[in-house]
Amino acid sequence: MSLLTGPMRHHLDGHKDLTLTKPVLKTIDPDVVWIPLTNGNAPCKAVVNIGDEVKIGTKIAERNDRFFLPLFSPVSGTVTAIEKFMTSGMTQAEHLRIQNDHKNTTVRAFEPFDYEKASWEEVLDFVKNAGMLGLGGAGFPTYVKYLKPENVDLFIVNAVECEPYLTADYKNIEENISLLKTGTLALFKLSKAAKGCVAIKEDKVDQIAALKETFAGTPIEVRTVPNLYPMGWERTLVFQLTGKRYGMLPIEAGCILNNASTAIALGNAIDNGMPITHKYVTVSGDAIKNPQNVLVPIGTKAHEIIDACGGFVENMEDVLLVAGGPMMGKAIPNDQFVIAPQNNGLTVLKNIKNEEVKCLRCGRCTETCPSGLQPVRINFAQKRMDLEELETLSVNDCIECGMCTYICPSKIEVTEGVRRAKRFLRAKAAPGGKK
Amino acid sequence: MKYTYKPSPNYRQKQSTISIMRDLTVCLLSIVLFATVYNAIRYGFATGMRVILMTAAAVITALVTEAAYFKVTGAKDIVTEVRHSFGWVTAIIMVLITRLDVSIYAIVISTVICIIFGKLVFGGFGQNIFNPAAFGEAIIMNSFAASKAANITADVYSGATPMTAMNSYGWVMENSVFEEFIQQFGGLGNMMIGNYPTVIGASCAILIIICGAYMMWKKDIDWHLTVTYILSIFCISLVVGLIHGEGLWFAIFNLITGGVLFCGIFMMTDPVTTPITIPGRMIFAFGAAALTLIIRWKANLPDGALYSVLLMNMLTPAIDKMIKGNQIKEAKQIRNEVIIAGVVCTLVAILVGAFLEGKTPVVASSSAPASALSSEDFSSTNVSCTDQGNGVYACSAKGFEGVNEATVTIENGAVKSIEVTAFNDTPGVGDMATAEGELARYAGATTSSAIDSTSGASFTSTSLRAMVYEALTMAGE
Ligand code: SF4
Ligand code: SF4
Repeated sequence: MSLLTGPMRHHLDGHKDLTLTKPVLKTIDPDVVWIPLTNGNAPCKAVVNIGDEVKIGTKIAERNDRFFLPLFSPVSGTVTAIEKFMTSGMTQAEHLRIQNDHKNTTVRAFEPFDYEKASWEEVLDFVKNAGMLGLGGAGFPTYVKYLKPENVDLFIVNAVECEPYLTADYKNIEENISLLKTGTLALFKLSKAAKGCVAIKEDKVDQIAALKETFAGTPIEVRTVPNLYPMGWERTLVFQLTGKRYGMLPIEAGCILNNASTAIALGNAIDNGMPITHKYVTVSGDAIKNPQNVLVPIGTKAHEIIDACGGFVENMEDVLLVAGGPMMGKAIPNDQFVIAPQNNGLTVLKNIKNEEVKCLRCGRCTETCPSGLQPVRINFAQKRMDLEELETLSVNDCIECGMCTYICPSKIEVTEGVRRAKRFLRAKAAPGGKK
Repeated sequence: MKYTYKPSPNYRQKQSTISIMRDLTVCLLSIVLFATVYNAIRYGFATGMRVILMTAAAVITALVTEAAYFKVTGAKDIVTEVRHSFGWVTAIIMVLITRLDVSIYAIVISTVICIIFGKLVFGGFGQNIFNPAAFGEAIIMNSFAASKAANITADVYSGATPMTAMNSYGWVMENSVFEEFIQQFGGLGNMMIGNYPTVIGASCAILIIICGAYMMWKKDIDWHLTVTYILSIFCISLVVGLIHGEGLWFAIFNLITGGVLFCGIFMMTDPVTTPITIPGRMIFAFGAAALTLIIRWKANLPDGALYSVLLMNMLTPAIDKMIKGNQIKEAKQIRNEVIIAGVVCTLVAILVGAFLEGKTPVVASSSAPASALSSEDFSSTNVSCTDQGNGVYACSAKGFEGVNEATVTIENGAVKSIEVTAFNDTPGVGDMATAEGELARYAGATTSSAIDSTSGASFTSTSLRAMVYEALTMAGE
């Protein structure tokens, strides 16, 4: 974002109008849900046995390695099996099968909690035990970020939602703005920050007004950011709001960030005593018949959601079913995966063949890469297997945002080339790797 | 239903290399059209059509050459390969930087060579080191200088281009002389709209700027390089102009002539042969600007812009290598590199410019006291006379753009009269020197007489003085 480096961000055509004004479909109540027993790359251990009865809000599994994370049942019914299949992150993982009895019997998971009166430690414990995790896509346990909040200047609730097509956060905020307030203020307390803000794109005029009203009289400001990609990425957002760059973690620039959905989930836990059981998911794209947002239990299979949205448009034989938005979401080669807590979209796109031509060295990828890399040179060096040059190109700073492929006028899979370069470097660096 | 896997992202912007090349082609064709119409109006229909003929010859040659190459190398889908190789762009650019009197034969051969050796042997589109069009034009200039289309030479390019004319002055001159000088091209304003002789496509500054602005707006070309180049040229020549006490004209003249604009907008923006990063491109532009002016001023090559592209092309890999790692983390170092490159290039060019010395191809100004005919040097006029008896000599001598002829009558070792029989300089300018009153001033002149040039028509005056002097010398023998 300077004269010399280029903009390092770019406006994308968001297609958000496809779903923005439509009501959220809340009738999906699948007969079976499959809870992925995984968080990040770590497995979670079931704490219920096959045959056990569960209610909405019953704790069913937990992660217990370096980090702690409990999982809760989104439906009432019976645990019937554990099976291994592909997740929305395209890894194999065990899933806990729960037969839904459609009775929706609920158990309050947490005792009433007053975050204002509670001590800082009690709030941290609450966040940890409530199973809060980064709902923006990372799925990282939330409490970990707040373990040592020192010298935090700015606490940021990220409502930017910069992925094209996705409007799930927007809808979630629209329907649960008071929960957002509770969650945000609780996290703000936890962050011990001097200032707090909710960051949202400047074009969401209505929501900006609603947020301003909600947060009036609190220390939380509403700050608008330009409609550019990847504005929702932590580094870009921190730079936009503070003008600071950082090495590894945002806290180095005095910032802590959480996604707006995470704040809402925490608000729900505090106000209603309920854990994360359902997710707002945007179903959109040019190959789905009725694009809209849905509110579904965690563990709902993708094909049920697609069916509920009218299936595919006519004469469609070949689609890309993307878990998430089209920039960073993965295209999954089947429709059997389930919605995990961190999923916020299903983008269904026509599979169009891109006419790839040779790289013309136009440098667009270099100008727009938010990490300031030179994807084109990384690609060339990777093809030549030029280890020496790759090592000068900071390959591992790539966040796989997809910008370089998006922008490339020659329609080259530039991002994939950078991924290959990363793997190549990792293989070389691994002990026993050929040097 | 088939669920296809593709690596993320699964989202593409609309602009494509194919659309970029389409816009570029449209812009280039608009310049071809301008050149066709301009030449047709000024020199006649056949001359105008020649532009189209040359363009067609080059484009067809490029396409055929590439198709043949892909056939020989065993490509599966030759049509697609040719479509994705964009050879026609090279061909059109090459024609546009060529002079109109180059023969079709030279165009065809140069196109073949530049497509094969300028592009395909490097691995094809995207791999070539030299700008292929500049490469092709360099071949034309160096190998086919003599191969002029016979029928066209006489009427179109008997005159000098602003570049060559300026060169004979050594680039620096008094402001009043420039006023006079630039009149032969109808003034700077006239030059902006392209009404003067130069290479086919580089004349109309306004049209070129419009094309450039359009392509920058559509993000087809990166503005950093072009703008840096043009601003550098302007600033360097402005400073050099000030050093020599020249007016703003010096900077403007340096900017709009010699293909600077065409080169900056259509050739330097060829991404294949220029650095990848923005800082790299700015370094490239600084270097190219300095080289353009130095070559033009010092090496007497009017096509400084062209050679500067080729020279900087060679440095492109090295410039790319300078910009390493994460541009955010290395921002300071990168900025310093750009600043150093900019300052060094600019200073060197200014220094070279500061030592420019004006040449006086003729007695440049009437303010200087005229010297005796016998002490003037008329060798550049190629003057010759034939004795026709009775003191009558038929003489000819080169004036500004053509050869003038006159009959000089000598009586008793002095001029009796001079009568102009053929005038080939700029009408309305040079003919001021051939007016009756002006010619009367030669009566009674001997080799030791001093005769002032006619103000504003010094070239023609010089040719007249040369003829008078030659006739007097012959009569004296
Ligand atoms: S995917 Fe990586 S290399 Fe490509 S633009 Fe994003 S950060 Fe840069
Ligand atoms: S955007 Fe594509 S064509 Fe342009 S330099 Fe990058 S990889 Fe090459």
